[in-house]
Amino acid sequence: MKKMMFLLLATVFMLSACSGNAGSGASSDPAKKEITVWAWDAKFNIAALNLAKERYMAKHPDVTINIIENAQADIVQKLNTGLNSGTTKGLPNIVLIEDYRSQNFLQAYPDSFRDMSDSIKSADFADYKAGPTNYNGKQYGVPFDSGVTGMYVRTDYLKEAGYTPEDMQDIDWDKFIEIGKAVKAKTGKDMLTQDPNDLGLIRAMIQSAGTWYLKEDGKTPNIAGNAALKEAMEDYKAMFDANIVKTNSDWSQFLAAFNSGAVASVPTGNWITPSVKAEASQSGKWAVVPFPTLKNTPNSVHASNIGGSSWYVMNVDGQDTAADFMKETFGSDKELYQDMLNKIGIIGTFKAASTGSAYDKADDFFGGQKIYADFAKWTTEVPNVNYGLHTYAIEDIMAVEVQNYLAGKDIDSVLNDVQAQAEAQLK
Amino acid sequence: MNKSKTFFTYIFLSIAAFISIFPFFWMLVSATNLSVDVTQGRLLPGSHLIENFQKLTSSVDIIGALGNSAKISISTTILALLIASLAGYGFEVYRSKAKDIVFNILLLSMMIPFAAMMVPLYRMFGKISNVVPVIGIDTLASVVIPTVTTAFLIFFFRQSTKMFPKDLLEAGRMDGLTELGLFFRVYMPTMKTSYAAAAIITFMSSWNNYLWPLVVLQSPENQTIPLLISNMGSSYAPDFGMIMIAIVFSTLPTAIVFFVMQKHFVAGMVGSVK
Repeated sequence: MKKMMFLLLATVFMLSACSGNAGSGASSDPAKKEITVWAWDAKFNIAALNLAKERYMAKHPDVTINIIENAQADIVQKLNTGLNSGTTKGLPNIVLIEDYRSQNFLQAYPDSFRDMSDSIKSADFADYKAGPTNYNGKQYGVPFDSGVTGMYVRTDYLKEAGYTPEDMQDIDWDKFIEIGKAVKAKTGKDMLTQDPNDLGLIRAMIQSAGTWYLKEDGKTPNIAGNAALKEAMEDYKAMFDANIVKTNSDWSQFLAAFNSGAVASVPTGNWITPSVKAEASQSGKWAVVPFPTLKNTPNSVHASNIGGSSWYVMNVDGQDTAADFMKETFGSDKELYQDMLNKIGIIGTFKAASTGSAYDKADDFFGGQKIYADFAKWTTEVPNVNYGLHTYAIEDIMAVEVQNYLAGKDIDSVLNDVQAQAEAQLK
Repeated sequence: MNKSKTFFTYIFLSIAAFISIFPFFWMLVSATNLSVDVTQGRLLPGSHLIENFQKLTSSVDIIGALGNSAKISISTTILALLIASLAGYGFEVYRSKAKDIVFNILLLSMMIPFAAMMVPLYRMFGKISNVVPVIGIDTLASVVIPTVTTAFLIFFFRQSTKMFPKDLLEAGRMDGLTELGLFFRVYMPTMKTSYAAAAIITFMSSWNNYLWPLVVLQSPENQTIPLLISNMGSSYAPDFGMIMIAIVFSTLPTAIVFFVMQKHFVAGMVGSVK
């Protein structure tokens, strides 16, 4: 009997050890002074939140802001479960959502998010952020970081091949491939690295022409007959055919490709800057040139976007406080944006803050180039597209078909097949 | 002939051993290297172990997360073993037609994937939070409760009980033990083997449990180890050296439990033969 008593006691003890402090009951209190924010990436988004919190708390010492770090995929999972179950228990006041996904949440649960039209003005932010953060004419999201793209190039490899960054200021992808071949011939290095399952490059190429996987309604697949997409895919294949692509299979191999000096360029979002600079021995050997254009697509520009996200205030207790926090920090505080760039390296999309000393800084790692001023300028030029509801669903279909395409399948039937699969799947 | 057979066996076993040991080797080596070296595939131990460790302890609350995981896993294991073995014992020892039907229904429930139950379960805990907040959303108890017993464990104990010599129960009754007394003083000591195996399974699945803790736990102070590691990987520039140290910490307890239990496993076998 002793054993049984012991087990029972142990059980009671364990259960009591597990019961912790729980949240308060469901009362409606929009002005509640304690708010919770969910975001991912300690060195990027969370760091920016902490700067914003510090500045806001200085003026509003009565407010408590809990910043919670979760992986991005985890936030999506948690939000979906919480919103789906219809209980506001456990939902945050503010959540960071990637722009590619935001329309899913806004269209599925419009009542769960707060209309921020009264707190911020869409026109204050880079034009291309309007697509993902607007829904039904209302401004829901507070646009945050810029995912503006650039072409990071190794000046030393280019020089060996007889090129300079000046030669790359106004080029299209055909010219890029030509330079890539010269680099490969002279240095033996590949021009770029790609993960065949991550079509970020193709996304960026088509956004530079103001088009997307989906039509403007954000629902109808726009694959077959999409001239810009067709050209982007042809350029993509041409890179592989020219044998200037080093394939990688995950993020760490992607980082390794340029950290180890195996590739001569990295065409991607500006958020890669800290990772490029992580290999200090390559200081002075890099430059950033404008994103190439699609040769046969007239409205293609030298600016595009990969990734980037925005803040969303949720319709739960404390939403007034949360909205005010957003309005006074990311919605209007120019100094905050200077701080974010200086201390973290984040380029925002708030137009009024895209100049100033932080942006004007020459970076010795990039041979003294004022890369942040360049990125800020390109941010204003990114075409606005509607990422719609199915960006990732279509990308999954695309990834398979792109493999077939690289293996020799005809481009038109590839696009038609993707269109057909997308239409069947996304009804 | 025989010699070459041994030779090939050794070759095969060496390859198999390499495949299973290499990831551990890689984890340990990477924990001592800088992130840049890890991405470039450095296979030699580096000199940044302490640096990585300091970065880890200064940026995240790894001790707190380990503590949470330990509290959850240990209480889940104790409760699950107690409840499931009582149930399995009951189903097998006090058999009847009706109980067999209940048992079959229980078995069917094994086929429902957790993802299908998650939203209703979350809703349920949302309601519970309003009534009994100490076991509601964002408490460690809310992670333990849905997993304190599983159909699989009950099935496992019922199957094991089939091997249990029922004469022992008769002998116990003769000596004047109550039915519960029989369970605790005759059945439990005899079934050490099954308990050890069940403990290993339960502890490991609880320690590595990801989906439910992810949705139900909100505050950082309640975070478990798998959640913490997941957060560190979601970054434009993940620090792989630091992540590897965290993974070393998360692997140690399961390894320890396994080796400790393995010893009891053997002891239990000997005990039941006596």
